[in-house]
Amino acid sequence: MRPLFVLIGMLLALTAPAGLAASSAAAAPVATEAVEVTFDRNRVRTALGGRFTLETKIVNPGGAQTDPILAHLNVASLTSEVYVDPEDWSADRSKEVARLRPGQSTSLSWDIQAVNAGSFDVYVVLLPNGPSTAGEGPLVVSPPVHLEVAGRRTLSPGGVMPVVIVVPVLLGLVAAAARFRLRGTG
Amino acid sequence: MSTSVSAPSVEGTQRATRIDAQGWRVVAGQECRDLWVSGRGPFLIFGFSVLLSGVTYLAATNLDINFLEQREAVNLTLQMAVAVGVLVTLVVSADGLSGERERGTLESLLLTPVSRRAIVTGKLVAALSVWFVAFVVTVPYLWVLGRGVSIVVQAVLLGLLVGTLVALGLAALGLLISAVSTSNKVSLAVSLFLLLALFAPTQLPSGLPQGWFFDVLARLNPVTAALHYISAVLVSGHAWTRDLSYLVSPILTVVLAGGALIVLAPRIVRLHAGVSGE
Amino acid sequence: MITIEAQQLTKRFGARTAVEELSFTARQGDVVGLLGPNGAGKTTTIRLLTTVLTPTSGEFSVAGIPSTRPNEIRRRVGVLPESAGYPGHQTGRDYLRYHARLFGLARSDAERVAERLLTQVGLDERASSRISTYSRGMRQRLGIARALVNDPTVVFLDEPTLGLDPAGQRQVLALVRETAQRRDATVVLSTHTLPEVEEVCSTVLILEKGRALVSGTVSEVTRAVAVQTSGQLRVPIELVDRARQALASVPGVVLEVADGRPDVLTISLTERPGGRGETGMNAALRAVLSADVPVLSFEVEGARLSDAFLTMTGEGAG
Repeated sequence: MRPLFVLIGMLLALTAPAGLAASSAAAAPVATEAVEVTFDRNRVRTALGGRFTLETKIVNPGGAQTDPILAHLNVASLTSEVYVDPEDWSADRSKEVARLRPGQSTSLSWDIQAVNAGSFDVYVVLLPNGPSTAGEGPLVVSPPVHLEVAGRRTLSPGGVMPVVIVVPVLLGLVAAAARFRLRGTG
Repeated sequence: MSTSVSAPSVEGTQRATRIDAQGWRVVAGQECRDLWVSGRGPFLIFGFSVLLSGVTYLAATNLDINFLEQREAVNLTLQMAVAVGVLVTLVVSADGLSGERERGTLESLLLTPVSRRAIVTGKLVAALSVWFVAFVVTVPYLWVLGRGVSIVVQAVLLGLLVGTLVALGLAALGLLISAVSTSNKVSLAVSLFLLLALFAPTQLPSGLPQGWFFDVLARLNPVTAALHYISAVLVSGHAWTRDLSYLVSPILTVVLAGGALIVLAPRIVRLHAGVSGE
Repeated sequence: MITIEAQQLTKRFGARTAVEELSFTARQGDVVGLLGPNGAGKTTTIRLLTTVLTPTSGEFSVAGIPSTRPNEIRRRVGVLPESAGYPGHQTGRDYLRYHARLFGLARSDAERVAERLLTQVGLDERASSRISTYSRGMRQRLGIARALVNDPTVVFLDEPTLGLDPAGQRQVLALVRETAQRRDATVVLSTHTLPEVEEVCSTVLILEKGRALVSGTVSEVTRAVAVQTSGQLRVPIELVDRARQALASVPGVVLEVADGRPDVLTISLTERPGGRGETGMNAALRAVLSADVPVLSFEVEGARLSDAFLTMTGEGAG
């Protein structure tokens, strides 16, 4: 019997790490691809320069905790001649999301200013940001928010002329009056 | 000593306090009158407005200007207002004491019971009036440039806060230089050189080179730091609190230069500059 | 009452000593003439006493206030600096109002004081003109007005008549006299014009190279040095020889006959410093009278402050 118990013990010793690994694998966080992200709306209409805020909701519907996530906002131009630099639209485009427990959700706010006129899609990408998953795929993408930005002429020569002319003329008159008064007290 | 020496009376002390409290206001009032009613102030501001009008008109006639460039135009106007306003403020303060020495009018001022601290406070206020008038003149231009992109209020508040910090710090420095300079020419030359040195990095074509060292330099220089802060909020759309660390050096300049001026005034506001133990 | 008291006042600028161990006093109502050649330390002394400069050593009090309370001293003194500049763009009225306000007067009081002083110094008709249009004399008068704006106990005037024509000088001296008499103020007058000092000053302080040479009344200072005096004595021509014999008995007398005037004897003698009793001139006159020689006229020259000054400061040598 004794050799049998030794054999069983050796087998157990050999398979225990695998078992542990298996159990830890069974308890491993849910891959980011299982997380869901949505916007509070799917369309925005505004004029050039308009500011608005989009809310995203990130939910962990799975049965295990997620890794830390990095949420990143992007703006894509749907108008070919309009170039978009997302940095100009929103200063804070990357937000970190802590681990989400099963069923937990979190909301993120994105302040955006429309700096170009045209048609655009705004979307959020979730990237794994854990110690072992950072830089690994796959990514999760939100549905896009379609943005229509109406152009408007924000500056025209005619609009500035009153100030451009009146201010120096007024100040010139004041300066001349001061000079005239100074001569008068001679 | 003679036994006829009198002790300070309570009434005398109260009168001295009243003279000081009134003294800096009287000095400031007269200096402002000299500057704005009898002096060069109106012409300087007129020239300043012509410059702003030119820049504003050029921005408006650029038909291709897009939203961002318009924000940058507002930023440029504000930065120019800060630069020119601070320049004139510095020139006025650099003349504050050394100029009076050369014109022979400082001795009469030193012969009054107004304390040296009250004298420099009054002159500082008068020098700052230049900045405030320049800023007020800038507001209509900011409005006309910025109303289309909804940043007028932001630009005005930024300019007032940050510009005043820079103007106050440099005005105090100018007065310090004026107090210790042996002639008015030296005072003006040193002050203008200082201003050039502080503004020069902002004029590099692509800004300062990258790296921690240049970042530290930019933050230490109160002018580059202040202008960086303005750009970050106006053009890049940063929140006001995000880049507050850039306001540390302008604030420190105010505290150190202003503090030195007030603390050292009894020693440096003298008939002859640079004479120790006078 | 003592209004100025200086004890061992010293001021050094590096290796150069501008004022050295100066001690003197002045009383209420005194007009003190501060004399000395250029560089003697007159202006430095005034600047020390008016707290514009800090002494290297020594103590002083002005109007009973010790030097440790300079702001209080400044409230009680009025000063016309030697090289005072004036803001050309201000009017005379504005200038006086400004300084009155700096001395703590309210706006209305400052206005009233300015008008009164402008009238007193004869600038009321030019009060609204810019100072840049004032003549030198007008600026000096404005400076004196400014020195009086706070009704001072002690007034320091550094070269107040410099560059003025005789009429202007007379005006300034009249103001000085009035200030001392009517206001009962102590006036310290620094000047090169010795006749002015003789005319208005009750006491004199002569400085040289930062040190006090002599102080006292004008006559005390004059007698403090040996000065050459001379006089012209006219007697009846027939008694010239008798007069000559009488004068020969007076020690120190040197006689000359005036050219073309045989009845006039020129008497020269040296007055001893601090001499008591009758002077040599008095003795000469008494000798002639004792010899029964009628004196038809007797004119004495010399023994002036200017002589004493030049002798003391060595400027008359050569």
